[in-house]
Amino acid sequence: METREVTKAIALRLYDGDAPGVAQLVQDAIDQGLAPQVLLNEGLLSGMDRVGQEFQRGELFVPELIVAARAMHAGLDLLRPLLGSGDGAVGTIVIGTVKGDLHDIGKRLVGIMMEGAGLRVVDLGHDVAPQRFVEEARREGADLVGLSALLSTTMPMMRDTIRALTEAGLQARTLVGGAPVTQAWADEIGADGYAADAVAAAARAKELLGR
Amino acid sequence: MNGRERVMAAVDHREPDRIPIDLWAERTVVERLQQHHGLPDREALLRRLCVDLRYAMGPSFAGQQFRELDGGMVQDHWGVVRRPMTVEGVDRTGRAWSWTYRHVHCSPLEQATTVQEIEKYEHWPSAEMWDYGQVEAECHAARQNGCAVVNGGDRLDRTAQLKPATYIRGLEQFLSDLLLQPALAQCLLERIVHYYLEYNRRVFEAARGAIDIFFMGDDMGTQTSLWVSPKLYRKFFKESFRSFIDLAHSHGIKTMYHSCGNVTALIPDFIDCGLDILQSLQPAAMDLEALKREYGGHLAFQGGIDIQSTMPVGTPDQIRAEVKQRAETLGRGGGYIFCTAHNLLPDVPTENMVALFEAYLEHGSYAQ
Repeated sequence: METREVTKAIALRLYDGDAPGVAQLVQDAIDQGLAPQVLLNEGLLSGMDRVGQEFQRGELFVPELIVAARAMHAGLDLLRPLLGSGDGAVGTIVIGTVKGDLHDIGKRLVGIMMEGAGLRVVDLGHDVAPQRFVEEARREGADLVGLSALLSTTMPMMRDTIRALTEAGLQARTLVGGAPVTQAWADEIGADGYAADAVAAAARAKELLGR
Repeated sequence: MNGRERVMAAVDHREPDRIPIDLWAERTVVERLQQHHGLPDREALLRRLCVDLRYAMGPSFAGQQFRELDGGMVQDHWGVVRRPMTVEGVDRTGRAWSWTYRHVHCSPLEQATTVQEIEKYEHWPSAEMWDYGQVEAECHAARQNGCAVVNGGDRLDRTAQLKPATYIRGLEQFLSDLLLQPALAQCLLERIVHYYLEYNRRVFEAARGAIDIFFMGDDMGTQTSLWVSPKLYRKFFKESFRSFIDLAHSHGIKTMYHSCGNVTALIPDFIDCGLDILQSLQPAAMDLEALKREYGGHLAFQGGIDIQSTMPVGTPDQIRAEVKQRAETLGRGGGYIFCTAHNLLPDVPTENMVALFEAYLEHGSYAQ
């Protein structure tokens, strides 16, 4: 099979959420000697791009996104050892839900779409203190830090976290999101970016990375 | 016209003397309002604020005990372990606040791979777990105040499908099951629905006609869209939702359903199932004017006052303006009950809540 047909088949299986199918196709392609970076970009990421676009248009929903992401990971796990340093990523983002907030899923979806956009994602989970964002962003050499909050009561912690990152002298740009978060709030607390949903967040991240 | 007559007129799409008023707030917020007004208890506060509905907790309080675990964690009657989380802050007026909520810590059936494991789960609740002896007295006490009686249990026995399924199975795993392991998802939902139908049947019978509104709550919306597609909703959830409503209607009880987020695309399904009142109407998530225009003839609404921005960080003037706007759009021709889109949380300044309830009375009148 030609490379183009293989990557198209991978993207289709991924779109259908068929993790074993994606893993099989990716493994076969690796065995055939196809370039890992091509399998990543034109297979996995291209499939996730379609999922993301249809999600944003309201044609796909969270379950479809989750099963597609699992299929993407099935392929990524096989490709990562072959991609060399940086896993072929376009940048690194450290993400987490801010201190005091235990809501996870919105941030998880953002992480999925960031990976789908070719970023390396370090997910710190939920209830993440400002100092931990600082330490992990530094350790991971993060280009971006993504902060999530679902509650009006935890949104102020975004301001504290951005302040801690600034005071620590980190150069990473900040992205904020979550149900009650708005562009006005992002401007008020000095965040570099805001997005209303996971797909828009990934697009904004790429803009901030200059891609 | 008493509160009950006012609410039932509104639900029947008639204009009462004024738009009925409801209060949704965290316990500590209610206590702060009580103190502010110098009132001895919750009931005195509800009267002072002219609240027209009373929530009967049903059998929930008759001996429900959670298993206490280390670190303040508890295991609820679904076998789900919940973790406490305390948040602190300072509101717009400089008042310091603190709030503790509980959130799912781990989901007991997340690792299950077979239908048998779901069926054999040791923590499935049973309608036998409750004592229904006080239900009628509790509802009558509420009705004696001249108010409409709402029954919906507390947040853990409020009739739902998606929420308990995700608590037990884990949110991502359950949503994935809907597509990849439908038999497993179906089995989980059947157990949940069976439990609620039997539990509610016993509550309704025990109440002997003293419940006006049966209240369900199940979040189907996100800030921008639905959790699951309308197609999956119809396949897995819709007919059980209809059976909950049919059961209430067979006892002469109206139905109210809460969902956070944007559920616009499901409203025709809710109407088809016979739902009477839709609750929440998150104004940042849905076009409320369009909802009233398109569905107001078939569905009554409760909620609509923004708790994501207006209530915590808005000014009293902004709150009055929002209440006036809701009265003019949602209140037209009846079919509307004033309330916030969800619970008032401790970050809401006292003066904002005072302004809210004053505005309800100022702008809610139907008198020409």
